Amino acid sequence: MGNEKYAILPCNGMDKEAGALARETALRLSARQAGEIVCPVLYHRSAKKYGKLLESSPLLVIDGCRTACASNLAKESGARITRRLNITDYLKGRGIKPGKSLELSTELLDETHRILEELLETDSEEGKAAIAADFTAPLEYETFTQDKYIFRVPRQGFLFNENDCWARVDGTRARIGISDFVQNSASDFLFFEPPQVGAAIEQFGEAGSLESTKTALDIISPFSGTVVAVNAELAEAPETINGDPYEKGWAVELELADFEGERELLMDCPSYLGYLKKKVEREFHKKERE
Amino acid sequence: MGVPRDKIDWCPEIDYDKCDYCMECDEFCPHRVFERRDGEERKLVVANPTNCVVFCRACGKTCGPDALSFPDKKETTALIKKLREELVQDG
Repeated sequence: MGNEKYAILPCNGMDKEAGALARETALRLSARQAGEIVCPVLYHRSAKKYGKLLESSPLLVIDGCRTACASNLAKESGARITRRLNITDYLKGRGIKPGKSLELSTELLDETHRILEELLETDSEEGKAAIAADFTAPLEYETFTQDKYIFRVPRQGFLFNENDCWARVDGTRARIGISDFVQNSASDFLFFEPPQVGAAIEQFGEAGSLESTKTALDIISPFSGTVVAVNAELAEAPETINGDPYEKGWAVELELADFEGERELLMDCPSYLGYLKKKVEREFHKKERE
Repeated sequence: MGVPRDKIDWCPEIDYDKCDYCMECDEFCPHRVFERRDGEERKLVVANPTNCVVFCRACGKTCGPDALSFPDKKETTALIKKLREELVQDG
């Protein structure tokens, strides 16, 4: 992302306080970056109006609450979201509970400065995030098919959790991603929201999230550790995960905190292959019954 | 996890003071954890808690009024490790 100006699509801010803060944040960011606001109401009425802008600028969506109207609007209109911020989630992380008032309190107005600083700071960190270790050794896969779907699992060198997320470990570092099962179930990915570089992640905690044409999901980290890199390519081309979930489609790289203590709760490749086959059979039988 | 699923207390809890019965969570969850109860005061319940995938919190992300909560991850992880040790000891 670096220093590019965003096109900013915010919540329209007319329902509750978190939305009003989303709107205020968008206005201030726009003033600071000379970026352009995408009015959600006008965009809903006539997406064409913003066609050129959205072709030439990365899109930042600022949602007020988890209903995520602005994100859904962008998705329904076929826009590619480059970055997204949810004000309610942000405030939850700061221990603040927004209310119903549309008039922003001084406390919340003060938060806009912090949000802007964090947004712009993360951008510059993501620009520097290409410090990933070497995970380029070619992989061999076990493959099985079910109907039109092909499922691959690497033969070795990976550990999996029951949430269908993998870790490829190299020394004290691991890359984290999702398995073929998730990408097959979710269909084409449209958006990857990475964790911040430097963030501490717990085992089975969230290491970013993904949205596809069908669903939204969290990447559940098999290990705890500190985020040392995120896959910057996924911001521009999240569908890379669909084509190559175990190599080019990696999501996050961690400096591991407790490899030996945590690996016992994970499956190796043959175990995951067995787990996956059973899961796929179950899912397809369920669909047949429906 | 190497532990019977019914020993692991992991599933969403609905805060009925917040839930507005939009049913987004039920529409999202592919594992039929929730069930709708038309005509009852609580129109949505967690009917199949052991169907919930341990550590999955995805339905919570769909909840506009933030009415779904989950157990503590660290406590759950510690419990699973303890249960595994007990199973090994019991042979």
